[in-house]
Amino acid sequence: MVQLRPRASRTPASAEAMVDEGQPASEEEAEHGLLLGQPSSGAAAEPLEEDEEGDDEFDEAPEELTFASAQAEAKEEERRVRETVRRDKALLKEKRKRREELFIEQKKRKLLPDTVLEKLTTAAQTDIKKSPGKLREVNLQKKNEECEKGSDSKKVKVQKVQSVSQNRSYLAVRLKDQDLRDSRQQAAQAFIRDSLYGPGTNRTTVNKFLSLANKRLPVKKAAVQFLNNAWGTQKKQNAKRFKRRWMVRKMKTTKK
Amino acid sequence: MGEFKVHRVRFFNYVPSGIRCVAYNNQSNRLAVSRTDGTVEIYNLSANYFQEKFFPGHESRATEALCWTEGQRLFSAGLNGEIVEYDLQALNVKYAMDAFGGPIWSMTASPSGSQLLVGCEDGSVKLFQITPDKIQFERNFDRQKSRILSLSWHPSGTHIAAGSIDYISVFDVKSGSAIHKMIVDRQYMGVSKRKCIVWGVAFLSDGTVISVDSAGKVQFWDSATGTLVKSHPIANADVLSIAVADQEDSFVVGTAEGTVFHFQLVSVTSNSSEKQWVRTKPFQHHTHDVRTVAHSPTALISGGTDTHLVIRPLMEKVEVKNYDAALRKITFPHRCLISCSKKRQLLLFQFAHHLELWRLGSTVATGKNGDILPLSKNADHLLHLKTKGPENIICSCISSCGSWIAYSTASRFFLYRLNYEHDNISLKRVSKMPAFLRSALQILFSEDSKKLFVASNQGSLHVIQLLEGSFKHLHAFQPQSGTVEAMCLLAVSPDGNWLAASGTSAGVHVYNVKQLKLHCTVPAYNFPVTALAIAPNTNNLVIAHSDQQVFEYSIPDKQYTEWSRAVQKQGFHHLWLQRDTPITHIGFHSKRPMHILLHDAYMFCIIDKSLPLPNDKTLLYNPLPPTSESDVVRRRTAHAFKISKIYKPLLFMELLDEGTLVAVERPLDDIIAQLPPPIKKKKFGT
Repeated sequence: MVQLRPRASRTPASAEAMVDEGQPASEEEAEHGLLLGQPSSGAAAEPLEEDEEGDDEFDEAPEELTFASAQAEAKEEERRVRETVRRDKALLKEKRKRREELFIEQKKRKLLPDTVLEKLTTAAQTDIKKSPGKLREVNLQKKNEECEKGSDSKKVKVQKVQSVSQNRSYLAVRLKDQDLRDSRQQAAQAFIRDSLYGPGTNRTTVNKFLSLANKRLPVKKAAVQFLNNAWGTQKKQNAKRFKRRWMVRKMKTTKK
Repeated sequence: MGEFKVHRVRFFNYVPSGIRCVAYNNQSNRLAVSRTDGTVEIYNLSANYFQEKFFPGHESRATEALCWTEGQRLFSAGLNGEIVEYDLQALNVKYAMDAFGGPIWSMTASPSGSQLLVGCEDGSVKLFQITPDKIQFERNFDRQKSRILSLSWHPSGTHIAAGSIDYISVFDVKSGSAIHKMIVDRQYMGVSKRKCIVWGVAFLSDGTVISVDSAGKVQFWDSATGTLVKSHPIANADVLSIAVADQEDSFVVGTAEGTVFHFQLVSVTSNSSEKQWVRTKPFQHHTHDVRTVAHSPTALISGGTDTHLVIRPLMEKVEVKNYDAALRKITFPHRCLISCSKKRQLLLFQFAHHLELWRLGSTVATGKNGDILPLSKNADHLLHLKTKGPENIICSCISSCGSWIAYSTASRFFLYRLNYEHDNISLKRVSKMPAFLRSALQILFSEDSKKLFVASNQGSLHVIQLLEGSFKHLHAFQPQSGTVEAMCLLAVSPDGNWLAASGTSAGVHVYNVKQLKLHCTVPAYNFPVTALAIAPNTNNLVIAHSDQQVFEYSIPDKQYTEWSRAVQKQGFHHLWLQRDTPITHIGFHSKRPMHILLHDAYMFCIIDKSLPLPNDKTLLYNPLPPTSESDVVRRRTAHAFKISKIYKPLLFMELLDEGTLVAVERPLDDIIAQLPPPIKKKKFGT
């Protein structure tokens, strides 16, 4: 980016400077003025300053520069800038392309081998337990046809494809469908849970419910689950273990 | 009788799952019940309310709706978005079809039985056509804004009422468009912040739509004009379910407080023809939410979160007022979930997703009748075996020597070998089970633990020989003729020669294990078998049926024994026949061939075949008379059935050896303590 030179003042007499065609003292100043869209007053100020300074030294007229040359130079500069921008963009595009390719490569590496994928996508929804331990190549053709025929009707959808390899130890399921189904099922279960047991329902614990009768007896009894047997299970276990060990130690010392 | 030391076991932490849906089938008088863990059970209401079949549950199959269609086909739909059809003969799931509407909240069958309507999470109502072997999607109705929670068909099949959140829509079946949208008032105890969820709708033939909602109201709407006719605020909590009788003169609703209300159509005055709906009877048989109700021609059926199935026969509909008209509450399972290894005193408990192996404690003290002896060694929890996969365990068994454990889910069979060294136990799985042994309905080891008998759900019976680290398949008995009526039960004789299998309509088959062929078939009886056992030495097969009849059949002679004929001639005592719960286990004493030990949920009985049989006039439950009475009186009152009700509720009782009995009890309070929270009840003074 072009650096701006510090300007001391700006004369309001800018109109003359603008009308004048060949006024700028140096090329740079002309560029400044034209590129930055500033009124040439700034540029005009400079030569005035210089003039003031260099007035004592030599009384020359400022260099004559035609508008055309200045324009040409300005255009040149613009072209250069445009070029750099284009080059930058091209570089970025290259970089992005390379990254994309890298990702695709990585993804490909993560996927199952091509042969297995092919079998999965062409196999249809049939029960293959009928032919244990055999590869599906023989039936793939038939399944292909079935799949195409059935794809018009609403019901056929390749949801679950059982294992296609010889060892039959895994089950391939389309994750996309499974996620959607699970989330909907969970939402439905949450709905039922909230509407029956959620906030706003008047629920109480089983203990309190069954103890109501005990509270109203002529001789009041304790609650049905008065003791909490699950309290301190770890502590009780530790105590039991310690007791056993202590007994063994005691036996040993008394024997001695 | 003898003196026994009894191990009273209360560490079986059995908690049944809550009941979610109930569906009644009129033609066969059967009830399908689905629970929150996905299990579907079929009860035969005419066979003394016995649970004859069940389909094991699945973790992802949270059923929300159950219905019967034409031809005894059972469908269920749940929150995983699939419609499942059950095969009642093969006892497995026929197929599961995705409805592509998200979780399914409600399902109903058309009055003609040929179409199925499903209400989904995304607000769509889908119509399916029922074909002979599958169902086929037909079309969608107009999509609504919120989820469709309840559906009902008009008896003529022209209109449908669908209950959603804050409104009810009435659809026209032919066009599929919504005709009316009736907005339900949110008012709940004066506050109208919570959305009003319409939990149930019912469409009557005169065009009235009855709706029950979460504000505790029962409302009557006119579907022709789409307006509210009458509103009954009946509860302070949600009203969760509704069921209408076939004749449309009564309906039943269930609330979240556990109350079940009966509404009837009665005439305004005694001789006028104008009728109105009146709330007649409240029933409080449940402590928790009643999530489902059904109305059979003579009874009201309700089930909910407190896991009881309550069947209340209506007095005015029952013709003969005998014990059949009493309230039936089914709480405990109708099959045995416990198996025991007599030699090592181990008990195997079967849960939905895991198995537990416990060793019984021991005592060195002695005492008199009725004493409680202190334990010198506590009961030990040896093994906690979790099943792999989302399916529930169907059946399990441990061999009598304690070294083999086998269990089966709906798709896999597992066999484990146990090794005991000093006090430690190590488990090794036998891998590579044969392909035909996919899912078993019943598993049994022989007494010498050399053979394994498996009843698979295709109807065939497999005999497998167990070797040190592996097994060898010996023989498969093919399914015999006859339809599958109930779950298969197996019994093997202690000497290993005979195997008995029940479950088909042809009767109980007895196979010769040594020669691997069918020996004979016990004549068929019209009630299903609830327990089966073969006595040692005499090889008598004792069969208990769901109507509380007990038969004894001699296998070598191929005919009923003398004692059994005598019992049939005289008939059982009327109190014996009026028991609610079926006999789930039969045991024998090795030294006393005249004794048979049986138990059901509320009593256990030792039948002494040498004593005279009681007739209807004698006292059935006679505890031991005091010794001060003379011997003559004792001899006169003694009869063959020695019944004791000391240990109840009993889940399992077995004779371990000469002088020891084990009784596994499950107090009802312990089950209730682990249920979800109920609705608060405000009582004066608390």
